[in-house]
Amino acid sequence: MKITVETKLESFQFPGFPEETVLTAGLAAGYSLPYECATGTCGTCHARVMDGPIDAGWTDAPGYAKLNREKGDILMCQARPLGDCSLRVRSNTAQPKELTPAAIKRIGRIENTRRLTGDVIHFEVALPSPMSFDAGQFVTCQVASLAGRRAYSMVNFGKNLERLHFVVKRKPTGKFSDWLFENHVDGAEIEIVGPLGRATFRPGEERDVICIAGGSGIAGMMSILEHASQMHYFHRHRGRVFFGVRTLADAFYLEDFAKHIASANGGLEVTVATSHEQVATPLHPQFSSIGIASGMVHEVAAASMTDQWNNAIGFVAGPQPMVDATLRVLIAEAGLRTDSIRFDKFS
Amino acid sequence: MTWKYVCSATDVPKNTLKQFDADGIMLVVANYGGRFRAFPPVCPHMEEPLEESGIIANCVLTCSKHLWSWDLGTLSMLGETEKPLKTYDVKEEEGKLFALIDKELVYEFENSDGDDDDFFK
Repeated sequence: MKITVETKLESFQFPGFPEETVLTAGLAAGYSLPYECATGTCGTCHARVMDGPIDAGWTDAPGYAKLNREKGDILMCQARPLGDCSLRVRSNTAQPKELTPAAIKRIGRIENTRRLTGDVIHFEVALPSPMSFDAGQFVTCQVASLAGRRAYSMVNFGKNLERLHFVVKRKPTGKFSDWLFENHVDGAEIEIVGPLGRATFRPGEERDVICIAGGSGIAGMMSILEHASQMHYFHRHRGRVFFGVRTLADAFYLEDFAKHIASANGGLEVTVATSHEQVATPLHPQFSSIGIASGMVHEVAAASMTDQWNNAIGFVAGPQPMVDATLRVLIAEAGLRTDSIRFDKFS
Repeated sequence: MTWKYVCSATDVPKNTLKQFDADGIMLVVANYGGRFRAFPPVCPHMEEPLEESGIIANCVLTCSKHLWSWDLGTLSMLGETEKPLKTYDVKEEEGKLFALIDKELVYEFENSDGDDDDFFK
């Protein structure tokens, strides 16, 4: 079946499949359809069905509440075609600005789950076919027993990888994290769509790098640090990482940070910010190359952002209020332009 | 079209913005490096209240929600911003700010009342 999309500037077609969302089908065909969360929350991928049968999918998704369903509005990340159909998408263009690996659907298996702290879990997904993706990209995940998709950034990156690494922080009402934490999930099937996201590390830009993350938002930052370390990026550019956690005991990846700092020849600084614990010293008691500071991560970052960082690329990931507060710091305190900021918000 | 009193110039410190009721019209006044602009109180993108989401830095207004931004000097759109910022003319007299208001400036949003059948409005 064929999906026809009309944007403000052009019209194009790509093949659709009843088991594939419109968004995934379009991205897989190489069209940069608009999206942010790809999981039904933000509403960025909304479109209007002009003709043809479509299953709107998970209509309880928060993003559907903002749409005019009577006029045929859908979320492309949820809707699946039931036959030839045509849509309007309110964007200026859908032609790819840059070549990115196409996002496709794969059924993988969960392996190697292990706790990093009391409420943080690492897991890997073995893929049936290799995936290439950049540091900072994410996929959406779905398991059979739970409704809706979740977006997770990969901790690793690379070409033709057969294994994705993830880190998940347990949330009080998180059904997927409950499922991960309360069951023996190794071997379980998981549907993966990706790679997605444009908040990527592009070493060719040759800019300083600021990473500010809350909780498991650090996942994408770890892939950026790994990529940068591998190419000795911090021998010629500065890197600054702020990692927000509740208490020092909630911090993880400390050995990885220490390794990256050691290989950076002084070019990389990492600070763990504790929002619910007063720390007595400026350095981590076990990892003395890692700084620690009390306060919300955006406040700790703001206090260090007074010197020359306005040429940096800023990466931000974490819970929405933390991201909003941090964007304010990067723009107002660090003087970054909006096109120098890449961020993912979790909802 | 009349000049309506909005606020005292000192009510809006440098590089901040604040919402006011100017004779029944809600608007936001931004102080960018000592100069002033007045505009509707919501972002033209997704109706975010700019008093909360707006950031003024380096003569640029940025809505922190999706980073739409405008140069407040030239009013040009920056980055991926897709709609112009509507503004009221502002004048300062004896420390008081006045805005030239004919009728309330509003943006068209996709879910606003009326017929949006063409979808691309």
